[in-house]
Amino acid sequence: MRSLISFFVFLFAAAVSALSTTGNRLLVILDDVVEKANYSKFLADLESRGFQLSFETPKSESLALFHLGERSYDHIIFFPTKTKGLGPKLTPNLLVDFLNAKGNLLVTLSSGVPTPNSLVSLLAELDIQLPAERTGLVVDHFNYDASSAADLHDVLLLPPPGPIRPDVKDFFAAGAPKDSLLAFPRGVGAVLGPGELLTPILRAPRTAYSYNPKEQAETVDELFAAGEQLALVSAFQARNSARLTLVGSAEMLQDKWFDAEVSQPSSGAGKKAAAAGKTFNREFAKRLSGWTFNEIGVLRVNWIEHHLDEPGAANQSNPAIYRIKKDVKYTISLSEHAWTAWTPFTLPSASDALQLEFSMLSPFHRLPLQPDPALSTDDAAAYSAAFRLPDQHGIFNFRVSYKRPLLSNVEEKNTVSVRHMAHDEWPRSYVISGAWPWIAGIGVTVAGWLAFCALWMFSAPVPAPGGAAGAARAETKKTQ
Amino acid sequence: MRFAQSFTPALLLLAAGVAQAASAWGFDEGSVSVVGRKSGEAVKEKLNARAPLSKPVSLGSTDTLKLSLTAKDNGKAKRPHQAFLLLQEQESGLEAPFPLTVKENGKAVAQISHKDLPVQLLAATKPLKASVVLASFGSAQGLDAPVFELKIETDPNVPPPAYEKPLRYGKKPEIHHIFRPDPKSPPKVVSLFFTLAVVGTLPALLIGWFTLGGNLNHLSKAIGAAPLSHATFFGSILAMEFVFIMYYTSWTLFQTLPVIAAVAVATVLSGTKALGEVQSRRLAGER
Amino acid sequence: MSADLLQVLASAGKGKGTRSLLRVIILALIAGAAVSSRLFSVIRFESIIHEFDPWFNFRATKYLVANGFYKFWDWFDDRTWHPLGRVTGGTLYPGLMVTSGVIYHALRALTIPVDIRNICVLLAPGFSGLTAIAAYLLTNEMTPSSSAGLLAALFVGIAPGYISRSVAGSYDNEAIAIFLLVFTFYLWIKALKQGSMLWGALCALFYGYMVASWGGYAFITCLLPLHAFVLICMGRYSTRLYVAYTTWYALGTLASMQIPFVGFLPVKTSEHMPALGIFGFLQLLAFLDYVRSAIPSRQFQTFLWLFAGATFGLGLLGLVIATSAGFIAPWSGRFYSLWDTGYAKIHIPIIASVSEHQPTAWPAFFFDLNMLIWLFPVGVYLCFQELADEHVFIVVYALFGSYFAGVMVRLMLTLTPVVCVAAAIAVSTLLDAYLNAKSPNPEEVQALESSEGKRAVKSGLRSTSKPVVGVYGLWGKGMVVGAMVVYLLVFVLHCTWVTSNAYSSPSVVLASRLPDGSQHIIDDYREAYQWLRQNTREDAKIMSWWDYGYQIGGMADRPTLVDNNTWNNTHIATVGKAMSSREEVSYPIMRQHEVDYVLVVFGGLLGYSGDDINKFLWMVRIAEGIWPDEVSERAFFTPRGEYRVDAEATETMKNSLMYKMSYYNYNNLFPPGQAVDRMRGARLPEVGPTLNTLEEAFTSENWIIRIYKVKDLDNLGRDHASAAAFDRGHKKKKATKKRGPRLLRVE
Repeated sequence: MRSLISFFVFLFAAAVSALSTTGNRLLVILDDVVEKANYSKFLADLESRGFQLSFETPKSESLALFHLGERSYDHIIFFPTKTKGLGPKLTPNLLVDFLNAKGNLLVTLSSGVPTPNSLVSLLAELDIQLPAERTGLVVDHFNYDASSAADLHDVLLLPPPGPIRPDVKDFFAAGAPKDSLLAFPRGVGAVLGPGELLTPILRAPRTAYSYNPKEQAETVDELFAAGEQLALVSAFQARNSARLTLVGSAEMLQDKWFDAEVSQPSSGAGKKAAAAGKTFNREFAKRLSGWTFNEIGVLRVNWIEHHLDEPGAANQSNPAIYRIKKDVKYTISLSEHAWTAWTPFTLPSASDALQLEFSMLSPFHRLPLQPDPALSTDDAAAYSAAFRLPDQHGIFNFRVSYKRPLLSNVEEKNTVSVRHMAHDEWPRSYVISGAWPWIAGIGVTVAGWLAFCALWMFSAPVPAPGGAAGAARAETKKTQ
Repeated sequence: MRFAQSFTPALLLLAAGVAQAASAWGFDEGSVSVVGRKSGEAVKEKLNARAPLSKPVSLGSTDTLKLSLTAKDNGKAKRPHQAFLLLQEQESGLEAPFPLTVKENGKAVAQISHKDLPVQLLAATKPLKASVVLASFGSAQGLDAPVFELKIETDPNVPPPAYEKPLRYGKKPEIHHIFRPDPKSPPKVVSLFFTLAVVGTLPALLIGWFTLGGNLNHLSKAIGAAPLSHATFFGSILAMEFVFIMYYTSWTLFQTLPVIAAVAVATVLSGTKALGEVQSRRLAGER
Repeated sequence: MSADLLQVLASAGKGKGTRSLLRVIILALIAGAAVSSRLFSVIRFESIIHEFDPWFNFRATKYLVANGFYKFWDWFDDRTWHPLGRVTGGTLYPGLMVTSGVIYHALRALTIPVDIRNICVLLAPGFSGLTAIAAYLLTNEMTPSSSAGLLAALFVGIAPGYISRSVAGSYDNEAIAIFLLVFTFYLWIKALKQGSMLWGALCALFYGYMVASWGGYAFITCLLPLHAFVLICMGRYSTRLYVAYTTWYALGTLASMQIPFVGFLPVKTSEHMPALGIFGFLQLLAFLDYVRSAIPSRQFQTFLWLFAGATFGLGLLGLVIATSAGFIAPWSGRFYSLWDTGYAKIHIPIIASVSEHQPTAWPAFFFDLNMLIWLFPVGVYLCFQELADEHVFIVVYALFGSYFAGVMVRLMLTLTPVVCVAAAIAVSTLLDAYLNAKSPNPEEVQALESSEGKRAVKSGLRSTSKPVVGVYGLWGKGMVVGAMVVYLLVFVLHCTWVTSNAYSSPSVVLASRLPDGSQHIIDDYREAYQWLRQNTREDAKIMSWWDYGYQIGGMADRPTLVDNNTWNNTHIATVGKAMSSREEVSYPIMRQHEVDYVLVVFGGLLGYSGDDINKFLWMVRIAEGIWPDEVSERAFFTPRGEYRVDAEATETMKNSLMYKMSYYNYNNLFPPGQAVDRMRGARLPEVGPTLNTLEEAFTSENWIIRIYKVKDLDNLGRDHASAAAFDRGHKKKKATKKRGPRLLRVE
């Protein structure tokens, strides 16, 4: 009986945890609801992961991103729409508000369809530039799908993207079969600004370029962007960890490119034989949407604790005030969400570090936090660092600012005061060897004073050798 | 007009692609030259798609690099859709494309000077790797060949372009606070020596007093005259010193103050009597 | 009838017992008058702490009462000087707070539960009563006439120069320090006159109390050695002087070193060196004196005096060398500004910016002392006539005090007691001469004169003999006495008027008159502080100019960046820089210091002169002192050298954070194009400033206080200007051609 209940509880828990960490209300914006058939597999995947899908057209009367100041949806997918404006319900300001309210956006573009003004302005605010004509087409004469775009070269074939830096977690290519390929059909490339909030997930190969098929059919003289500067799929994570993913080709999420057969062009000298096989698009779409909608790459701070690390000290947790030059220990517990459950957070690579800063105006200490297995549990990993407080009093912050591309931001600040030495916390003077002569001086003065008092009060006059001298002295004393 | 113009070649290309499945792009008459603004002197080098130039070409701040070639598809001069010169910074792998102006007959030219280069390439320390990419629609194999290395020479009189590395989230260097050194005491031997020297003054003082004739002979007389007040007075002086010692070792101010007050009252009350007795002896000429 | 009454009164005044009873009653009345004349502000407004510094003292007292003495002693205040914090227990003079704490606990022990605020508010008037008594005692030491003492008590009790810093609510160190000053001087005179160790020890004890209470203790530290030195130079060295001085110096210095804030200063800084030097010199003199009495030889004596002089000179030389070598800290900036009034303005703007550090204007002397200022020289002259040791003290004090009062407005306070004492001596001498109802008998006088004349001839000191003065006409007496009475009455009127009109404003609450004559209270300060208290997080950091630091800490209970304890010039300059720079420069500074709100005082709507735009140049100057490259005072003046806020204001001025915060949205109060700053009488530009990094959080009723919230970093990583432009509906322009060289994205 009991086991049955626990089983149900477990089931329920599993069902709940299978959702995104933000929420499961997902709005899909389409030109026409009928179009969703093109994306049925993708949408079915999302539904199976627990999202509640609502479909709306931009013109819909019932569409509202906010209700009474609260978000009505947790996530939005924009599929390409032919209308140039998205109407008053989806103005760029509303979309910015949506991001500021921690909502997530998945925006898809297509080279065949002009991008709505609203999205262009939104992306411009994020420092993402789209081709001026809005219909730039990305082609690559070296990496294209020979079976479907042998001539036009507008279906790019790319290996699944690995991490952009060795110390960044590999979300999109991990576990992909060798030689698997992503198809990127008829997409738009974007140029990303230099900001740190943007991360290109999928970059064009160095020989790819974007051109305007209407005006630059013969040759390309003016270039929007080319090579790796051209981001095909890019991610934006706001400071509040709201995410926006820009997919240059909506088609890559369509059913026909999920598990489609593709082949690389057979090449001449120097190249291997053409690789052919099924696309990786379905898995990629799952991971991409999973990342965008906060199913993966989400970090959670479970608790933070700091205390005095001195032998014999009262072990009070998180005191508001410390004293200079005391040893303290700081521990933070972190979990990472992996699709369905919280898991202990581990650093993506050995070259990365979870760092603790102890700062006032500027950091006094910046130390790596080490895993603390004793305090870790099945779903949380504890990291701790022990150090000595600086010899400067002030209002300090224990600060863990763990911000990495593709991981949600961890910004924790715990303020403590570090006070000076109280008057009775210094070493006593008899401990300091340099003070001994002075202490002895005090002792001698005390003893001398007592002796003087005794002598002054109880000393009898000395019978002077002449005998008269004493009398004379007494005489002078009297007359004075 | 424009539309027709753009459409025909695409169709042509389509046709060509079917016809020549195994064709490949290449170039001929490739040359690179650097023209100085002042001198007008051109350093010209021939380019080869198969072997890059052995010596890097250097580009001064006022110079212009001129690249010209004739694109050929399977030996036939032709206009490719993509004719780029790619400059790559070798350390970061950053690459900047420079499209060549291609004429119908495949003649392609590009001119590059310092102001066209992105900041990162200008600031490069190693020579830039220059490759030519020629490719187009259809099945013709594209060409992507390194052709020469380009050395950027900056003018020492002109400040180098400011390039600030963009902020990227990542690990930061560790910081460890450097503590002020603890105050130091002199060697213990020195302290001990001076301590002994100070302590030594007390016996010296006492001996000095006694050799000068100090004594306690009137003690019995004083006690006899005013026993209680003398005992209390001297006792209170002792007690006061004891209070100071207690304050030094353990007492707080608020423990000390009442005791001091009590002892002080005793001192004053007994002191008037005791000192009066001392004065009477002095007046009697006994001191 | 009236004659009878006079007779009765006169006879009553004759008995010794009745006289002292009368004296006690009069003194009690004077003390009562002193207390009650300081209560204007309580009656007009309420029992409230005034101004700026008292708010800190009040806060510290509350901390002391709540946490006990030892906690207070080791108090680390993490709510001021964010993020540095202040070792408050070690950087304040605890005398004031401990006094209030003792009174509080004593009243508690007597089961009289009094709010600590009321003790703090009424402490200054209470101590002014004690000051009156101390002045009575001091004056009594100077002259045998007891009326002089009573007059001095009265003068000190109501002199505006003293009232200015001791009205009810003016809970500042000076409140008790003036009493301690006068009383220490009284004890010093007593010790000197009697050569008594007991009085010397008492003097040292009260000197210790004074050191614990006010930084002005250095005045005593310098005045007593100066007095001793003058006496020595006059050849008046005596064992009395030796006993009094050495007792005072040894015990007093030990006592002063117990205060953590003073610590080792008495043996390390130049201000304290005269006292140490005279101490050593006295030892030498005592030794020489002993030798001289032992060996009576005239040549030897001269040699000894030469020797003493040489030693003194050598000691002085040694002091100079030790100072230049750095063993002894040189004179601090505040002291330099006492010698050269222009020094501070050039070198330490932070000191010069304080209004009470300005040189005194001439009218202030009359305003604060009224008739005492012309009676003062008479009193000093009378002291010259007698010139006993104690009179030398008055003369030295008068010279010293006058100089310092002329240099710094604040030091008018230390001058006031001696002015009162000297004036009292003058008035009492006058009245004693003219109030004597009995006319002197001419024959008797003549006899006395002739006998004196004979003696004078004998001694050959005719010139020094006293001329005999006598007033014979009752009419003349009446005239003079009547005039004096009128003067005294006018003095009382003046004091009351000054106290009521000039010194009884809490400055936290402003009062104005409505057209119908009724009083209108402008309570913007408290309104704003209350808003902060109720609407912000408990640890929200408030940035404001340092003037308001203590008030924010005391009334709003929020951490501040800088406050009136101007110990860290750099931190103040940082705030000055943030206020005087462009938003883009200020924002990182405010982020770094974790500022949540910025508070400015703006008097443009009301015509309130004490606002931040008027203080702005000081902020600029102080910031320029630290960052001369980034802040320049010149840039705030128009090419014609005018400091303007209207359309002609310089770009730097218009873009400064202070200007923007002051005039933000101010235009909306007026019809378009007619915004006027009533304080500076300037018509403001039609388009008001825009603020990108701050948002208006609160503006008080009369716009005196404006509070802005510092925005967080933009969530989308934009700079604030473009984020604000986007919110206003401006779309980002397509970056078709970016200026400057191209930039590739790394990674």
